[in-house]
Amino acid sequence: MRGLIELWGVFVSTIAGMIRGGRPKGEIVRQMHAIGNKSMLFIAVTLGFIGMVMIYQACMQFNRVTGDLSQVGVQFIRLVTSDFAPTLTGMMLATRVGAGIAAEIGSMKVTEQVDALRMSGVLPVDYLIVPRFIASVVMTVVLTTLGGAIMYVAGGLTAHYQFGVNLKIFFDLSLLNPAHLSLGLVKAVTYGAAIPVVSGFCGLRAKGSSEGVGWATTAAVIGSSLAVLLLDFILSVAGFFVLGEALR
Amino acid sequence: MIELAAVRKRFGRHAVLDGIDLQVPTGARLGIIGPAASGKSVLLKLVCGLLRPDAGQVMIDGTDITERSEEGLAATRARIGFLFQNYALFDFMTVGDNVAFPLARRGGLAEDEIARRVSARLRAVGLAGNEAKMPAELSGGMKKRVGIARATIAHPEIVIYDEPTAGLDPVTTSKVYDLLRADQETTGATVIAVSSDVEALCRFVDTVAFLYQGKIRYQGAAQTLTDAPDPVVRQFVRGDLEGPLEG
Ligand SMILES: Nc1ncnc2c1ncn2[C@@H]1O[C@H](COP(=O)(O)OP(=O)(O)O)[C@@H](O)[C@H]1O
Ligand SMILES: [Mg+2]
Repeated sequence: MRGLIELWGVFVSTIAGMIRGGRPKGEIVRQMHAIGNKSMLFIAVTLGFIGMVMIYQACMQFNRVTGDLSQVGVQFIRLVTSDFAPTLTGMMLATRVGAGIAAEIGSMKVTEQVDALRMSGVLPVDYLIVPRFIASVVMTVVLTTLGGAIMYVAGGLTAHYQFGVNLKIFFDLSLLNPAHLSLGLVKAVTYGAAIPVVSGFCGLRAKGSSEGVGWATTAAVIGSSLAVLLLDFILSVAGFFVLGEALR
Repeated sequence: MIELAAVRKRFGRHAVLDGIDLQVPTGARLGIIGPAASGKSVLLKLVCGLLRPDAGQVMIDGTDITERSEEGLAATRARIGFLFQNYALFDFMTVGDNVAFPLARRGGLAEDEIARRVSARLRAVGLAGNEAKMPAELSGGMKKRVGIARATIAHPEIVIYDEPTAGLDPVTTSKVYDLLRADQETTGATVIAVSSDVEALCRFVDTVAFLYQGKIRYQGAAQTLTDAPDPVVRQFVRGDLEGPLEG
Protein backbone atom coordinates (compact mmCIF):
# COMPACT_ATOMS: atom_id res chain seq x y z
CA MET A 1 0.00 0.00 0.00
CA ARG A 2 2.82 2.38 0.88
CA GLY A 3 4.39 1.33 -2.39
CA LEU A 4 1.26 2.44 -4.27
CA ILE A 5 1.34 5.83 -2.60
CA GLU A 6 5.02 6.23 -3.50
CA LEU A 7 4.22 5.12 -7.05
CA TRP A 8 1.56 7.80 -7.24
CA GLY A 9 4.15 10.26 -5.92
CA VAL A 10 6.52 9.34 -8.77
CA PHE A 11 3.71 9.88 -11.27
CA VAL A 12 2.87 13.29 -9.82
CA SER A 13 6.50 14.41 -9.80
CA THR A 14 6.90 13.13 -13.36
CA ILE A 15 4.07 15.40 -14.46
CA ALA A 16 5.56 18.26 -12.43
CA GLY A 17 8.98 17.46 -13.87
CA MET A 18 7.66 17.87 -17.41
CA ILE A 19 6.90 21.48 -16.56
CA ARG A 20 10.06 22.01 -14.48
CA GLY A 21 12.39 20.87 -17.22
CA GLY A 22 15.93 19.98 -16.22
CA ARG A 23 16.25 16.94 -18.43
CA PRO A 24 19.36 16.39 -20.54
CA LYS A 25 19.34 17.79 -24.07
CA GLY A 26 18.45 15.38 -26.85
CA GLU A 27 17.47 12.73 -24.33
CA ILE A 28 13.82 12.48 -25.43
CA VAL A 29 14.82 11.79 -29.02
CA ARG A 30 17.38 9.22 -27.87
CA GLN A 31 14.77 7.49 -25.72
CA MET A 32 12.19 7.58 -28.50
CA HIS A 33 14.69 5.87 -30.71
CA ALA A 34 15.52 3.33 -28.00
CA ILE A 35 11.87 2.55 -27.31
CA GLY A 36 10.56 2.77 -30.86
CA ASN A 37 13.30 1.22 -32.92
CA LYS A 38 13.90 -1.72 -30.68
CA SER A 39 10.22 -2.61 -30.39
CA MET A 40 8.96 -1.93 -33.90
CA LEU A 41 9.74 -5.30 -35.49
CA PHE A 42 8.74 -7.12 -32.32
CA ILE A 43 5.32 -5.49 -32.26
CA ALA A 44 4.77 -5.77 -36.00
CA VAL A 45 5.43 -9.50 -35.96
CA THR A 46 3.43 -10.21 -32.80
CA LEU A 47 0.37 -8.19 -33.75
CA GLY A 48 0.51 -9.41 -37.33
CA PHE A 49 0.40 -13.04 -36.26
CA ILE A 50 -2.29 -12.48 -33.64
CA GLY A 51 -4.37 -10.71 -36.32
CA MET A 52 -4.03 -13.67 -38.64
CA VAL A 53 -4.93 -16.20 -35.95
CA MET A 54 -7.93 -14.21 -34.76
CA ILE A 55 -9.41 -13.82 -38.21
CA TYR A 56 -8.75 -17.45 -38.98
CA GLN A 57 -10.60 -18.52 -35.85
CA ALA A 58 -13.40 -16.03 -36.36
CA CYS A 59 -13.98 -17.09 -39.97
CA MET A 60 -13.99 -20.75 -38.98
CA GLN A 61 -16.61 -20.09 -36.32
CA PHE A 62 -18.76 -17.97 -38.64
CA ASN A 63 -18.55 -20.61 -41.33
CA ARG A 64 -19.80 -23.23 -38.92
CA VAL A 65 -22.77 -21.09 -37.82
CA THR A 66 -23.98 -18.76 -40.57
CA GLY A 67 -21.42 -18.87 -43.33
CA ASP A 68 -21.76 -15.10 -43.72
CA LEU A 69 -18.27 -13.58 -43.51
CA SER A 70 -19.19 -10.09 -44.71
CA GLN A 71 -19.30 -8.66 -41.16
CA VAL A 72 -15.94 -10.02 -40.00
CA GLY A 73 -13.75 -7.15 -41.24
CA VAL A 74 -16.16 -4.46 -40.12
CA GLN A 75 -16.28 -5.82 -36.58
CA PHE A 76 -12.58 -6.61 -36.54
CA ILE A 77 -11.41 -3.04 -37.16
CA ARG A 78 -13.63 -1.78 -34.35
CA LEU A 79 -12.12 -4.25 -31.92
CA VAL A 80 -8.58 -3.63 -33.15
CA THR A 81 -8.94 0.11 -32.79
CA SER A 82 -10.64 0.26 -29.44
CA ASP A 83 -8.80 -2.55 -27.74
CA PHE A 84 -6.53 -5.07 -29.46
CA ALA A 85 -4.02 -2.66 -30.92
CA PRO A 86 -3.39 -0.52 -27.83
CA THR A 87 -3.64 -3.32 -25.29
CA LEU A 88 -1.49 -5.86 -27.13
CA THR A 89 1.07 -3.16 -27.91
CA GLY A 90 0.92 -2.10 -24.27
CA MET A 91 1.52 -5.65 -23.08
CA MET A 92 4.46 -6.08 -25.42
CA LEU A 93 5.98 -2.75 -24.40
CA ALA A 94 5.42 -3.53 -20.72
CA THR A 95 7.83 -6.43 -21.02
CA ARG A 96 10.39 -4.91 -23.35
CA VAL A 97 10.42 -1.26 -22.44
CA GLY A 98 9.58 -1.90 -18.80
CA ALA A 99 12.49 -4.29 -18.35
CA GLY A 100 14.86 -1.93 -20.17
CA ILE A 101 13.92 1.10 -18.10
CA ALA A 102 14.07 -0.76 -14.78
CA ALA A 103 17.44 -2.32 -15.61
CA GLU A 104 18.96 0.99 -16.70
CA ILE A 105 17.69 3.05 -13.80
CA GLY A 106 18.17 0.19 -11.34
CA SER A 107 21.82 -0.26 -12.19
CA MET A 108 22.34 3.50 -11.88
CA LYS A 109 20.72 3.30 -8.47
CA VAL A 110 22.87 0.48 -7.11
CA THR A 111 26.10 1.98 -8.49
CA GLU A 112 25.23 5.25 -6.70
CA GLN A 113 24.97 7.19 -9.97
CA VAL A 114 21.52 8.30 -8.83
CA ASP A 115 23.09 9.67 -5.64
CA ALA A 116 25.76 11.39 -7.72
CA LEU A 117 22.99 13.07 -9.75
CA ARG A 118 21.30 14.19 -6.54
CA MET A 119 24.60 15.66 -5.33
CA SER A 120 24.61 17.90 -8.40
CA GLY A 121 21.13 19.17 -7.58
CA VAL A 122 19.39 16.94 -10.11
CA LEU A 123 16.04 15.38 -9.28
CA PRO A 124 16.31 11.76 -10.48
CA VAL A 125 12.67 11.73 -11.61
CA ASP A 126 13.19 14.81 -13.82
CA TYR A 127 16.43 13.56 -15.28
CA LEU A 128 15.72 9.86 -15.69
CA ILE A 129 11.97 9.26 -15.79
CA VAL A 130 10.56 12.35 -17.51
CA PRO A 131 12.38 11.87 -20.86
CA ARG A 132 11.43 8.18 -20.88
CA PHE A 133 7.86 9.12 -19.99
CA ILE A 134 7.46 11.56 -22.88
CA ALA A 135 9.20 9.23 -25.31
CA SER A 136 7.10 6.29 -24.19
CA VAL A 137 3.77 8.11 -24.53
CA VAL A 138 4.63 9.25 -28.06
CA MET A 139 6.07 5.92 -29.16
CA THR A 140 3.24 3.86 -27.69
CA VAL A 141 0.76 5.83 -29.79
CA VAL A 142 2.95 5.44 -32.87
CA LEU A 143 3.51 1.72 -32.31
CA THR A 144 -0.17 1.16 -31.54
CA THR A 145 -1.08 2.74 -34.86
CA LEU A 146 1.51 0.69 -36.68
CA GLY A 147 0.66 -2.54 -34.86
CA GLY A 148 -3.06 -2.03 -35.38
CA ALA A 149 -2.58 -1.40 -39.10
CA ILE A 150 -0.49 -4.52 -39.50
CA MET A 151 -2.96 -6.58 -37.50
CA TYR A 152 -5.82 -5.34 -39.67
CA VAL A 153 -4.02 -5.98 -42.94
CA ALA A 154 -2.74 -9.40 -41.82
CA GLY A 155 -6.29 -10.31 -40.77
CA GLY A 156 -7.72 -9.08 -44.06
CA LEU A 157 -5.25 -11.05 -46.16
CA THR A 158 -5.98 -14.17 -44.14
CA ALA A 159 -9.71 -13.73 -44.67
CA HIS A 160 -9.16 -13.17 -48.38
CA TYR A 161 -6.74 -15.99 -49.17
CA GLN A 162 -8.07 -18.62 -46.77
CA PHE A 163 -11.78 -17.90 -46.82
CA GLY A 164 -12.24 -16.00 -50.06
CA VAL A 165 -13.60 -12.85 -48.42
CA ASN A 166 -13.66 -9.92 -50.83
CA LEU A 167 -10.98 -7.41 -49.83
CA LYS A 168 -13.31 -4.48 -50.40
CA ILE A 169 -15.88 -5.96 -48.07
CA PHE A 170 -13.29 -6.75 -45.38
CA PHE A 171 -11.58 -3.36 -45.45
CA ASP A 172 -14.83 -1.47 -45.00
CA LEU A 173 -14.31 1.33 -42.49
CA SER A 174 -17.85 2.70 -42.54
CA LEU A 175 -18.79 1.39 -39.07
CA LEU A 176 -15.63 2.70 -37.42
CA ASN A 177 -16.41 5.92 -35.61
CA PRO A 178 -14.55 8.52 -33.53
CA ALA A 179 -15.57 6.78 -30.31
CA HIS A 180 -13.46 3.73 -31.14
CA LEU A 181 -10.55 5.85 -32.22
CA SER A 182 -10.62 8.02 -29.13
CA LEU A 183 -10.96 5.07 -26.77
CA GLY A 184 -7.98 3.43 -28.50
CA LEU A 185 -5.97 6.62 -28.31
CA VAL A 186 -6.75 7.16 -24.63
CA LYS A 187 -5.67 3.60 -23.90
CA ALA A 188 -2.40 3.96 -25.82
CA VAL A 189 -1.55 7.21 -24.06
CA THR A 190 -2.41 5.76 -20.65
CA TYR A 191 -0.31 2.63 -21.14
CA GLY A 192 2.53 4.70 -22.56
CA ALA A 193 2.43 6.79 -19.40
CA ALA A 194 2.02 3.90 -16.96
CA ILE A 195 4.89 1.72 -18.19
CA PRO A 196 7.80 4.15 -17.61
CA VAL A 197 6.37 5.38 -14.31
CA VAL A 198 5.95 1.86 -12.90
CA SER A 199 9.29 0.66 -14.28
CA GLY A 200 11.21 3.79 -13.32
CA PHE A 201 9.75 3.53 -9.84
CA CYS A 202 10.92 -0.10 -9.60
CA GLY A 203 14.38 0.91 -10.87
CA LEU A 204 14.72 3.72 -8.33
CA ARG A 205 13.82 1.28 -5.57
CA ALA A 206 16.54 -1.21 -6.54
CA LYS A 207 18.76 -2.07 -3.60
CA GLY A 208 22.06 -3.82 -3.07
CA SER A 209 23.91 -5.00 -6.15
CA SER A 210 23.18 -6.68 -9.48
CA GLU A 211 20.77 -9.01 -7.74
CA GLY A 212 18.74 -5.96 -6.74
CA VAL A 213 18.63 -4.88 -10.38
CA GLY A 214 17.29 -8.33 -11.29
CA TRP A 215 14.53 -8.01 -8.73
CA ALA A 216 13.69 -4.51 -9.93
CA THR A 217 13.50 -5.68 -13.55
CA THR A 218 11.19 -8.58 -12.73
CA ALA A 219 9.01 -6.34 -10.59
CA ALA A 220 8.85 -3.79 -13.41
CA VAL A 221 7.70 -6.33 -16.00
CA ILE A 222 5.05 -7.79 -13.71
CA GLY A 223 3.97 -4.37 -12.47
CA SER A 224 3.73 -2.79 -15.93
CA SER A 225 1.86 -5.76 -17.39
CA LEU A 226 -0.61 -5.74 -14.52
CA ALA A 227 -0.99 -1.99 -14.90
CA VAL A 228 -1.85 -2.40 -18.58
CA LEU A 229 -4.42 -5.11 -17.85
CA LEU A 230 -5.96 -3.17 -15.00
CA LEU A 231 -6.09 0.07 -16.97
CA ASP A 232 -7.58 -1.78 -19.94
CA PHE A 233 -10.39 -2.98 -17.72
CA ILE A 234 -10.95 0.42 -16.12
CA LEU A 235 -10.84 2.32 -19.42
CA SER A 236 -13.07 -0.20 -21.18
CA VAL A 237 -15.71 0.10 -18.47
CA ALA A 238 -15.34 3.88 -18.36
CA GLY A 239 -15.48 4.06 -22.15
CA PHE A 240 -18.65 2.03 -22.12
CA PHE A 241 -20.29 4.47 -19.72
CA VAL A 242 -19.00 7.65 -21.34
CA LEU A 243 -19.25 6.73 -25.00
CA GLY A 244 -22.03 4.18 -24.62
CA GLU A 245 -24.08 3.90 -27.83
CA ALA A 246 -21.29 5.11 -30.07
CA LEU A 247 -19.19 2.02 -29.37
CA ARG A 248 -21.91 -0.43 -30.31
CA MET B 1 30.88 24.08 10.57
CA ILE B 2 29.36 20.64 10.22
CA GLU B 3 27.64 19.28 13.28
CA LEU B 4 26.02 15.95 13.96
CA ALA B 5 24.02 15.64 17.16
CA ALA B 6 22.71 12.32 18.50
CA VAL B 7 22.34 10.96 14.97
CA ARG B 8 20.84 7.50 14.65
CA LYS B 9 20.35 5.45 11.52
CA ARG B 10 19.10 1.91 11.25
CA PHE B 11 18.42 -0.35 8.28
CA GLY B 12 15.75 -2.84 9.24
CA ARG B 13 16.69 -4.21 12.63
CA HIS B 14 20.36 -3.33 12.22
CA ALA B 15 21.28 -0.09 14.01
CA VAL B 16 24.21 1.15 11.93
CA LEU B 17 24.71 4.49 13.67
CA ASP B 18 23.60 4.63 17.26
CA GLY B 19 24.06 8.16 18.57
CA ILE B 20 26.76 10.04 16.68
CA ASP B 21 28.01 13.38 17.94
CA LEU B 22 30.58 14.99 15.72
CA GLN B 23 31.77 18.49 14.93
CA VAL B 24 33.90 19.55 12.01
CA PRO B 25 34.96 23.20 12.14
CA THR B 26 35.13 25.14 8.88
CA GLY B 27 38.42 24.53 7.10
CA ALA B 28 39.28 21.48 9.21
CA ARG B 29 40.37 18.12 7.85
CA LEU B 30 38.73 15.18 9.56
CA GLY B 31 39.55 11.55 8.90
CA ILE B 32 37.09 8.79 9.73
CA ILE B 33 38.31 5.26 10.25
CA GLY B 34 36.63 2.09 11.43
CA PRO B 35 36.12 -1.56 10.63
CA ALA B 36 34.33 -2.60 7.42
CA ALA B 37 30.56 -2.06 7.50
CA SER B 38 30.81 0.11 10.61
CA GLY B 39 28.76 2.79 8.84
CA LYS B 40 31.42 5.16 7.55
CA SER B 41 29.79 5.56 4.15
CA VAL B 42 26.37 5.90 5.77
CA LEU B 43 27.73 8.69 7.98
CA LEU B 44 29.07 10.58 4.95
CA LYS B 45 25.75 10.27 3.14
CA LEU B 46 23.91 11.62 6.16
CA VAL B 47 26.11 14.71 6.09
CA CYS B 48 24.90 15.71 2.64
CA GLY B 49 21.32 14.52 3.01
CA LEU B 50 21.57 11.56 0.65
CA LEU B 51 20.26 9.55 3.60
CA ARG B 52 18.02 10.84 6.35
CA PRO B 53 18.71 10.04 10.00
CA ASP B 54 16.03 8.27 12.03
CA ALA B 55 16.79 10.61 14.92
CA GLY B 56 19.13 13.48 15.69
CA GLN B 57 20.28 16.48 13.71
CA VAL B 58 22.71 17.22 10.93
CA MET B 59 23.57 20.90 10.90
CA ILE B 60 25.59 22.71 8.28
CA ASP B 61 26.57 26.23 9.34
CA GLY B 62 23.87 26.21 11.96
CA THR B 63 20.93 25.10 9.81
CA ASP B 64 19.37 21.70 10.23
CA ILE B 65 19.24 19.87 6.91
CA THR B 66 17.39 16.80 8.11
CA GLU B 67 13.93 18.23 7.54
CA ARG B 68 14.67 19.71 4.13
CA SER B 69 13.00 18.48 0.98
CA GLU B 70 15.08 17.17 -1.90
CA GLU B 71 14.69 20.55 -3.67
CA GLY B 72 15.59 22.39 -0.48
CA LEU B 73 18.80 20.41 -0.17
CA ALA B 74 20.06 21.45 -3.61
CA ALA B 75 21.58 24.71 -2.39
CA THR B 76 23.46 22.92 0.39
CA ARG B 77 24.63 20.16 -1.90
CA ALA B 78 25.96 22.69 -4.39
CA ARG B 79 28.50 23.58 -1.69
CA ILE B 80 29.58 19.96 -1.24
CA GLY B 81 31.83 17.82 -3.43
CA PHE B 82 31.43 14.09 -2.91
CA LEU B 83 33.69 11.26 -4.00
CA PHE B 84 31.73 8.02 -3.84
CA GLN B 85 33.38 4.86 -2.62
CA ASN B 86 32.62 3.08 -5.90
CA TYR B 87 33.25 6.19 -8.04
CA ALA B 88 29.60 6.45 -9.21
CA LEU B 89 30.76 7.84 -12.55
CA PHE B 90 27.92 8.30 -15.03
CA ASP B 91 28.54 5.39 -17.35
CA PHE B 92 26.56 6.93 -20.23
CA MET B 93 28.82 10.01 -20.37
CA THR B 94 32.42 10.59 -21.36
CA VAL B 95 35.04 11.28 -18.71
CA GLY B 96 35.02 14.95 -19.73
CA ASP B 97 31.24 15.25 -19.38
CA ASN B 98 31.41 13.49 -16.02
CA VAL B 99 33.89 15.98 -14.65
CA ALA B 100 32.02 18.90 -16.22
CA PHE B 101 28.67 17.79 -14.82
CA PRO B 102 28.60 19.75 -11.53
CA LEU B 103 29.73 22.92 -13.34
CA ALA B 104 27.36 22.46 -16.27
CA ARG B 105 24.39 21.88 -13.93
CA ARG B 106 25.17 25.03 -12.03
CA GLY B 107 25.03 27.11 -15.21
CA GLY B 108 26.48 30.55 -15.80
CA LEU B 109 29.67 29.36 -17.48
CA ALA B 110 30.42 29.29 -21.18
CA GLU B 111 31.09 25.89 -22.68
CA ASP B 112 34.71 26.59 -23.60
CA GLU B 113 35.37 27.87 -20.09
CA ILE B 114 33.96 24.63 -18.68
CA ALA B 115 36.07 22.61 -21.11
CA ARG B 116 39.17 24.55 -20.07
CA ARG B 117 38.55 23.90 -16.38
CA VAL B 118 37.81 20.24 -17.02
CA SER B 119 41.09 19.68 -18.83
CA ALA B 120 42.98 21.58 -16.11
CA ARG B 121 41.36 19.42 -13.43
CA LEU B 122 42.07 16.22 -15.33
CA ARG B 123 45.69 17.29 -15.73
CA ALA B 124 45.87 17.90 -11.97
CA VAL B 125 44.76 14.33 -11.25
CA GLY B 126 47.19 12.96 -13.82
CA LEU B 127 44.65 12.11 -16.49
CA ALA B 128 45.32 14.82 -19.08
CA GLY B 129 43.78 14.15 -22.46
CA ASN B 130 41.32 11.47 -21.32
CA GLU B 131 38.22 13.61 -21.84
CA ALA B 132 36.78 11.57 -24.68
CA LYS B 133 37.12 8.16 -23.01
CA MET B 134 34.14 6.40 -21.48
CA PRO B 135 34.37 5.40 -17.79
CA ALA B 136 34.20 1.71 -18.74
CA GLU B 137 37.55 2.07 -20.52
CA LEU B 138 39.35 3.17 -17.34
CA SER B 139 41.06 1.20 -14.60
CA GLY B 140 39.82 1.42 -11.02
CA GLY B 141 42.52 3.86 -10.02
CA MET B 142 41.76 6.11 -12.98
CA LYS B 143 38.04 6.08 -12.18
CA LYS B 144 38.85 7.09 -8.62
CA ARG B 145 40.85 10.04 -9.89
CA VAL B 146 38.08 11.05 -12.30
CA GLY B 147 35.76 10.92 -9.29
CA ILE B 148 38.10 13.22 -7.39
CA ALA B 149 38.19 15.62 -10.35
CA ARG B 150 34.39 15.66 -10.49
CA ALA B 151 34.10 16.18 -6.72
CA THR B 152 36.43 19.16 -6.70
CA ILE B 153 35.81 20.88 -10.05
CA ALA B 154 33.34 23.41 -8.68
CA HIS B 155 35.61 24.43 -5.76
CA PRO B 156 33.16 23.27 -3.11
CA GLU B 157 33.43 24.59 0.43
CA ILE B 158 33.04 21.07 1.78
CA VAL B 159 34.68 18.04 0.21
CA ILE B 160 33.82 14.51 1.25
CA TYR B 161 36.05 11.66 0.14
CA ASP B 162 34.87 8.09 0.65
CA GLU B 163 37.91 5.82 0.34
CA PRO B 164 39.89 8.05 -2.06
CA THR B 165 42.76 5.56 -2.29
CA ALA B 166 41.15 2.13 -1.93
CA GLY B 167 42.63 -0.22 -4.51
CA LEU B 168 45.48 2.12 -5.47
CA ASP B 169 49.15 1.21 -5.23
CA PRO B 170 51.29 2.94 -2.54
CA VAL B 171 52.89 5.43 -4.95
CA THR B 172 49.57 6.48 -6.45
CA THR B 173 48.13 6.66 -2.94
CA SER B 174 50.81 9.17 -1.94
CA LYS B 175 50.21 11.14 -5.13
CA VAL B 176 46.47 11.26 -4.51
CA TYR B 177 46.93 12.49 -0.94
CA ASP B 178 49.44 15.11 -2.12
CA LEU B 179 46.81 16.29 -4.58
CA LEU B 180 44.05 16.35 -1.95
CA ARG B 181 46.30 18.29 0.40
CA ALA B 182 47.35 20.80 -2.25
CA ASP B 183 43.70 21.29 -3.18
CA GLN B 184 42.64 21.79 0.39
CA GLU B 185 45.44 24.26 1.03
CA THR B 186 44.46 26.43 -1.93
CA THR B 187 40.70 26.33 -1.35
CA GLY B 188 40.63 26.12 2.44
CA ALA B 189 37.73 23.69 2.15
CA THR B 190 36.37 21.63 5.01
CA VAL B 191 37.34 18.03 4.34
CA ILE B 192 35.95 14.75 5.63
CA ALA B 193 37.81 11.69 4.40
CA VAL B 194 37.15 8.03 5.06
CA SER B 195 39.99 5.64 4.46
CA SER B 196 41.14 2.17 5.40
CA ASP B 197 44.72 3.24 4.73
CA VAL B 198 45.11 4.73 8.19
CA GLU B 199 48.76 5.68 7.86
CA ALA B 200 48.38 7.64 4.63
CA LEU B 201 45.17 9.21 5.87
CA CYS B 202 46.83 10.42 9.05
CA ARG B 203 49.43 12.29 7.03
CA PHE B 204 46.59 14.20 5.33
CA VAL B 205 44.07 14.99 8.08
CA ASP B 206 44.43 16.85 11.39
CA THR B 207 41.90 14.92 13.43
CA VAL B 208 40.75 11.33 13.27
CA ALA B 209 37.49 9.85 14.48
CA PHE B 210 37.19 6.13 15.06
CA LEU B 211 33.75 4.72 14.31
CA TYR B 212 32.98 1.51 16.15
CA GLN B 213 29.70 -0.27 16.92
CA GLY B 214 27.57 2.69 15.90
CA LYS B 215 29.40 5.30 17.94
CA ILE B 216 32.42 7.56 17.66
CA ARG B 217 34.63 5.56 19.96
CA TYR B 218 37.58 7.92 19.85
CA GLN B 219 38.44 11.30 18.41
CA GLY B 220 41.86 12.86 18.56
CA ALA B 221 44.85 14.32 16.75
CA ALA B 222 46.05 12.30 13.79
CA GLN B 223 49.70 12.30 14.88
CA THR B 224 49.06 10.65 18.22
CA LEU B 225 46.62 8.03 16.96
CA THR B 226 48.98 5.07 17.43
CA ASP B 227 49.36 6.01 21.09
CA ALA B 228 45.65 6.35 21.76
CA PRO B 229 44.75 5.31 25.29
CA ASP B 230 41.86 3.12 24.09
CA PRO B 231 43.11 -0.44 23.45
CA VAL B 232 40.43 -1.02 20.77
CA VAL B 233 41.68 1.96 18.78
CA ARG B 234 45.30 0.94 19.21
CA GLN B 235 44.59 -2.57 18.05
CA PHE B 236 42.71 -1.34 14.98
CA VAL B 237 45.33 1.19 14.00
CA ARG B 238 48.24 -1.17 14.49
CA GLY B 239 46.44 -4.08 12.86
CA ASP B 240 47.07 -6.47 15.75
CA LEU B 241 45.31 -9.81 15.62
CA GLU B 242 45.01 -10.10 19.41
CA GLY B 243 42.94 -7.63 21.39
CA PRO B 244 39.50 -6.43 22.42
CA LEU B 245 38.31 -5.42 18.90
CA GLU B 246 35.24 -7.42 17.86
CA GLY B 247 34.76 -8.54 14.27
N1 LIG C 1 20.95 1.73 1.66
C1 LIG C 1 21.17 0.74 2.55
N2 LIG C 1 20.21 -0.16 2.80
C2 LIG C 1 20.39 -1.14 3.72
N3 LIG C 1 21.52 -1.31 4.40
C3 LIG C 1 22.53 -0.47 4.18
C4 LIG C 1 22.41 0.61 3.23
N4 LIG C 1 23.57 1.30 3.24
C5 LIG C 1 24.37 0.68 4.12
N5 LIG C 1 23.76 -0.37 4.70
C6 LIG C 1 24.33 -1.25 5.73
O1 LIG C 1 24.91 -0.43 6.72
C7 LIG C 1 26.12 -0.98 7.18
C8 LIG C 1 27.24 0.03 7.04
O2 LIG C 1 27.52 0.26 5.69
P1 LIG C 1 28.65 1.25 5.19
O3 LIG C 1 28.42 2.58 5.76
O4 LIG C 1 28.69 1.15 3.70
O5 LIG C 1 29.96 0.61 5.81
P2 LIG C 1 31.45 1.12 5.66
O6 LIG C 1 31.86 1.53 7.03
O7 LIG C 1 32.25 -0.07 5.21
O8 LIG C 1 31.48 2.23 4.67
C9 LIG C 1 26.36 -2.24 6.37
O9 LIG C 1 25.98 -3.34 7.17
C10 LIG C 1 25.45 -2.09 5.20
O10 LIG C 1 24.99 -3.34 4.78
MG1 LIG D 1 32.16 2.45 2.85
